[in-house]
Amino acid sequence: MIKIFINPGEFSRFADIIFKPLLIVSILALFFGLIFALYLSPDDYQQGSTVRIMYVHVPSAWLAILTFFIMTIYSIVALAFKIPFGFIVNSAVAPIGATFTFICLFTGSLWGKPMWGTWWVWDARLTSVAVLFIIYLIIIFFRRSFSNIDVGEKITAIFIIVSSINLPIIKFSVDWWNTLHQPASISKFSSPSIDSSFMMPLITMTISFTCVGLLIAIIRIKGEILDRKDKI
Amino acid sequence: MQTINSILAIFYKECKIAFRIFYDVLTIILFFLLGIFIFVFSVGPNKEIFSQIGVGIIWALLLLSTNLSIKRFYQDDYNDGNIFLLHMSGLSFELIVLIKLIALWFFFQLPFIIVIPIACLILGIGTEDIYLILITFFLGSPVLTSLASISGSMNLLNNKNFAVGSVIIMVLSIPLIIFSTGIINAPPELIKPQLGILGGILLFFLALTPWVSAGCIKIALKYN
Repeated sequence: MIKIFINPGEFSRFADIIFKPLLIVSILALFFGLIFALYLSPDDYQQGSTVRIMYVHVPSAWLAILTFFIMTIYSIVALAFKIPFGFIVNSAVAPIGATFTFICLFTGSLWGKPMWGTWWVWDARLTSVAVLFIIYLIIIFFRRSFSNIDVGEKITAIFIIVSSINLPIIKFSVDWWNTLHQPASISKFSSPSIDSSFMMPLITMTISFTCVGLLIAIIRIKGEILDRKDKI
Repeated sequence: MQTINSILAIFYKECKIAFRIFYDVLTIILFFLLGIFIFVFSVGPNKEIFSQIGVGIIWALLLLSTNLSIKRFYQDDYNDGNIFLLHMSGLSFELIVLIKLIALWFFFQLPFIIVIPIACLILGIGTEDIYLILITFFLGSPVLTSLASISGSMNLLNNKNFAVGSVIIMVLSIPLIIFSTGIINAPPELIKPQLGILGGILLFFLALTPWVSAGCIKIALKYN
């Protein structure tokens, strides 16, 4: 079972099996999620129609952080147990995370203009996510700046581990500082503080975003594996 | 006894090299002072503005002058083969990194203690604030040195992209800059907790740097 996550061959075989079901699930979830989010869900009594930005903003933020978490775990595993598949995952997944972080920042600033009256404020949550975006870009550039690609991957993995200190800062920034950004509304340990009519499309959109992200990751990882086989 | 002897030998070597390139250190300090002049010229000579943003200018320039000393850390040793001798000496790289941190902090950060009060006077920062700035400098400058060490060891084999080393220092220094400049404008009862946070950052980086730098150097040695 664990071999699926560390062995390129096993991963390719497993990816071929789950690719089609994942595609169907993501298409269905995206279809129904968009219908729910854009037509069926009610307007907020204060925010009006702009609340619908949330259905893109929150899933992309969640995916941005999840991607970095996965990269951190794969870096530790790859460096500690000398598993090159971790480096493959890192180089394949980093642009996906950068894209989702950019979507999160972009929709957030579109949402901030009508609600807070400004495109950007320098509060803790926004700044730490912007730093996350910069770190993603550094990771993408850093790997290519070594003429020996093996060294580049290992050093980048070390950099990912060092900069993963940013993840808890992002998570707890809304609790540690008084920020304009609201604290988390959906928590595992307590009942969510948003209504179920908003919750339903949000969960559907989160599922669809996760599936789409997984699909792109699978395609990119398989491409990366083929690329390396080609080079050897 | 032999370990102590080799530690002292490495320290002596660092001091000798630092004395030999003392003009380099003086030039970095000149860069710091000139940077303050440039800031004053570009914003306009208004004393009220500078008493508010002066601390930020000083810390930003400290960060930029740290960027200039990245190469001194391991690149020179790597190019002339010193690092292989260190590798053969039997000492662990974590210890060597720690010795280098102390030596290079002494030569590349401590001289700023002479110019920071001058810079404060030029910028019109009050005398009681200079005292606080010096305390934050003592707590924060080892962090800058260790960031330079991390970045320098990561970029040992990097021969295509020279700017990325500075970018790494800047990204990792964001918490340090936030807490060390925020302390001046903080209310008096918040000064002690902020100093505590700065001390925490210092201890965190002192604990982290030897492992990270040693790991990067080992990778560089393996692929040489």
